[in-house]
Amino acid sequence: MIRIDGVIRPLSWINERVLKAGRAVGIAAVAVMVAVTILQVFCRYVLGSALAWPDEAARFCMLWMTGLMAPTAMRRGGFVAIDILPTMLPAFAARVLNLFLLLVSLVVLVVALQIGWSEMTGLGGRFASASLYLPLNLEFSEWYRIPRSWMMASLPVGLVLLISVGVELVLRNIAALMGHDVSLLPESEAETGIQGVD
Amino acid sequence: MLVWFLPLFLVFLLIGLPVVFGMLAAPGLLLWLNGQERDLTLLYRNLYNGMDSFPLMAIPFFMLAGELMNRGGITTRLVEFAQALMGHFRGGLAHVNVLSSMLFAGLSGSAVADTSALGSMLIPAMEKQGYTRRFAAAITAASSVIGPIIPPSGIMIIYAYVMGESVAALFLAGIVPGALVGIGLMIVVKLMADKYDFPVASKRYSWGERGQASLKAFFPLMTPVIILGGILLGVFTPTEAAAVAAVYAMFISLFVLRTMRFAELPDVLGRAGLTSAVVLLLVGAAMSFKTVVSLSQTPQMMAEFILTLTENPLLLLFLINVLLFIVGMFLDAGPAIIILAPILGPVFTSMGVDSVHFAIIMCVNLTVGLATPPMGLVLFVASAVSGERVTTISRAILPFLAVEILVIFLITYFPAISMTIPRLTGFAN
Amino acid sequence: DYTIRAVANSNEADEDYDGLQVFKSYVEAASNGAIEVEIYMGTQLCSNGAECLQGVADGSIDVYISTSDGASGLFPYLQVLDLPYIMADDRVAERVLTGDFTRQLRDMTLADSGDTLRLMTIGNTGGWRNFANTERQIQTPEDIAGLKMRTVVSDLPQELVRALDASPTPIPWPELFTSLQTNVVEGTANGITDIMSMKFPEAGLTHLTLDGHAYMGAMWWMSNQKFMEMPEDMRMIVVDGFSHLQQATFESPKRKSIAAYEAFAEAGGEVYVPTPEEKQAFKEAAQPVYEWFTGSVDGGEEILADFRAAVEEAEQELTAERTRDIQ
Ligand code: NA
Ligand code: NA
Repeated sequence: MIRIDGVIRPLSWINERVLKAGRAVGIAAVAVMVAVTILQVFCRYVLGSALAWPDEAARFCMLWMTGLMAPTAMRRGGFVAIDILPTMLPAFAARVLNLFLLLVSLVVLVVALQIGWSEMTGLGGRFASASLYLPLNLEFSEWYRIPRSWMMASLPVGLVLLISVGVELVLRNIAALMGHDVSLLPESEAETGIQGVD
Repeated sequence: MLVWFLPLFLVFLLIGLPVVFGMLAAPGLLLWLNGQERDLTLLYRNLYNGMDSFPLMAIPFFMLAGELMNRGGITTRLVEFAQALMGHFRGGLAHVNVLSSMLFAGLSGSAVADTSALGSMLIPAMEKQGYTRRFAAAITAASSVIGPIIPPSGIMIIYAYVMGESVAALFLAGIVPGALVGIGLMIVVKLMADKYDFPVASKRYSWGERGQASLKAFFPLMTPVIILGGILLGVFTPTEAAAVAAVYAMFISLFVLRTMRFAELPDVLGRAGLTSAVVLLLVGAAMSFKTVVSLSQTPQMMAEFILTLTENPLLLLFLINVLLFIVGMFLDAGPAIIILAPILGPVFTSMGVDSVHFAIIMCVNLTVGLATPPMGLVLFVASAVSGERVTTISRAILPFLAVEILVIFLITYFPAISMTIPRLTGFAN
Repeated sequence: DYTIRAVANSNEADEDYDGLQVFKSYVEAASNGAIEVEIYMGTQLCSNGAECLQGVADGSIDVYISTSDGASGLFPYLQVLDLPYIMADDRVAERVLTGDFTRQLRDMTLADSGDTLRLMTIGNTGGWRNFANTERQIQTPEDIAGLKMRTVVSDLPQELVRALDASPTPIPWPELFTSLQTNVVEGTANGITDIMSMKFPEAGLTHLTLDGHAYMGAMWWMSNQKFMEMPEDMRMIVVDGFSHLQQATFESPKRKSIAAYEAFAEAGGEVYVPTPEEKQAFKEAAQPVYEWFTGSVDGGEEILADFRAAVEEAEQELTAERTRDIQ
């Protein structure tokens, strides 16, 4: 029983820090999305000459924002669910159900990660992006065309983080079932701030 | 065989599995049992590709705009403006509540944002004037459903994306229905105000004072003008309009109204990103789900089943409204659209119902569902900001719900209500 | 015994569907039911070139049709077929594409995809790409200058628009109608059937110039593994099936475009056919695109030379035949 606490605490510590970094990148990504989209409107409407890359660059940012921020949402219990049944059940039964639901989620995530990895490393990942380049030197004379896999990596990375969060939540649930005094969701994440599109 | 994914999905949903995992687990499990392992790849591919879309970017942008409106003290000015116009009526603050919601709806695409922004301001103010708290909370919740009906609208962006409709057409189609809900609510307020002798909120404002209030509200009120005007004049696309709205909100709250500081910006971006990430993942999962919906021929079977009930389209629309209303009682509007639009949309368009018209029926119905018990998102938020119990608000909201249901049926049976503006502007046939 | 799952991202009104119908009917009959063909139209299974071709490579899809642009992210040299004003007309194009040049492309793409993607044939999807716009009649390259032309996010079409001093503007296809209507963009480069199926004239796209700058080639890919697993007699049937499919997609756009041009005229559209001199002017104005292609695509110079040689050979044969046919 000491062992499970001993696993939860470091995992929680890691998740907290990694997700915080993920959120920081996500925040930057949102800012870039807005900026390049406005830049495109400006170039097309004011200068009369559109740029090729903002569309793809903005999508690049959106995908990474999703991959890096969705795990935080899961850790804060922010994924939409109908929770009538869990709230109606007695505490113990609710925890057993919750554990089952978390395990189903984990299976989905692990299968998705397997497929995602082969997708990213497969032929589809070798496709060149249509308009994204990286400078290879400081004189900007040589450019590297970014492959699609850089964009596709956002989802597998997000899945790894989601699995890490899922494992933490499962362990917390098991510990609670065993009668330990742990909360099912990390307290540090109590402030949800997630509303959904509605 | 494959079609069993639908009941399985329902079971997952009802026992509380997050929608996003249910949408992947149920079809995935059935594909696997069916020996179609290679099609699991299709689920993943559509999950990824479902999120990889430029038009979808309007969601994070409008989320961001909404967050900024909420922080930027913009709400206060809208309420003051509404008060200058309607505060002197009997039941003045109740009218102000509805009108503020309509104004706020032009800036934000979310009912929840509406409830929390306006509720935290207006519910205490109404209580102070002698309204019961449950009434104040109920009118706040009831009027906030206008948020996603009057453009911009998060759920309409999702509907347009999942079903391949024009965002501009849906936005334009929502204007009159949204106004109709507002007017309907004001009529109920008026009837109740006369009966229960509601207080007036303030003296009649002079035209000078009204001018001053409109001047203060001018910049926020320009948002919908910029969004729709920009789209119609070809300055930007609907997606870009969302980015413009966000930057505009940022600009007025940082520099014009100066109600927000630069340091608060990362937090605002973070909240918008976090909410969007959840929604985008859900939309991606919906595209996977939709793949299996078509692989399993569900729409065709659904159509056959529905047609065994009745072939009268008017009756069918009635039944579908009942179904949507029941679904809306348990599920939020966004996920409900994501799940049901691909299944129901093709059935009705094949019967000759205009796709934009059907989209509006669905969006309005499910949005009203946000304010119905037992699972009404805005009821919960109204309860949280007012401190009143959900069950109490649920009872107080009934007269308002009645008028909203009436509006749903008006929209259903008089297509002109929603279709006239998109037709006149050439965005629908 | 064999099930071929074929995917095209277009709809059932498209020539891709006609081709697949012919393929299905031939292959199922000739194999006496041993091969079954399942057709999936639209984006039910996958929705773009990268995704669908990955599906063909990993076996979740067996047959897929891409445009050369859709496959160019992996095989940049395929854009050679999109180079403007190289093939003069349908007869030249059809002869080139039924010839060895297609086989050469097949060998190259097989090698570059690690023996996974087999280019079965190249047909047509949508006829020829022409310039259309909402503003004015275009007769010469000068007329197009300054217009905001919608292009896909891809280098070659953008280079072409830039070479004509117009402004390439990337707009996602679903947003294009609204963008034309509101003048976010003023023109497109599409075939007539696409223009009409999207009802673009209602958005003001009424000026069409038949410059025919690009043949809209349709690349039909098949999973090489799936193909090679079949015994040779079955492979033969599949190969013949693709040949019939190719013929069907050559003809279908010609037939469909008749109604499309009528509908275009009815919707208030005007068609302008450039004179040979005007077409020559377009060709000269488009020179920078060839330089871009040979300069920035690996092996571009060689493939362009091979393509030109194939076109020239086809033209010579056709000239010879035509000369005899008119006597
Ligand atoms: Na709104
Ligand atoms: Na309200």
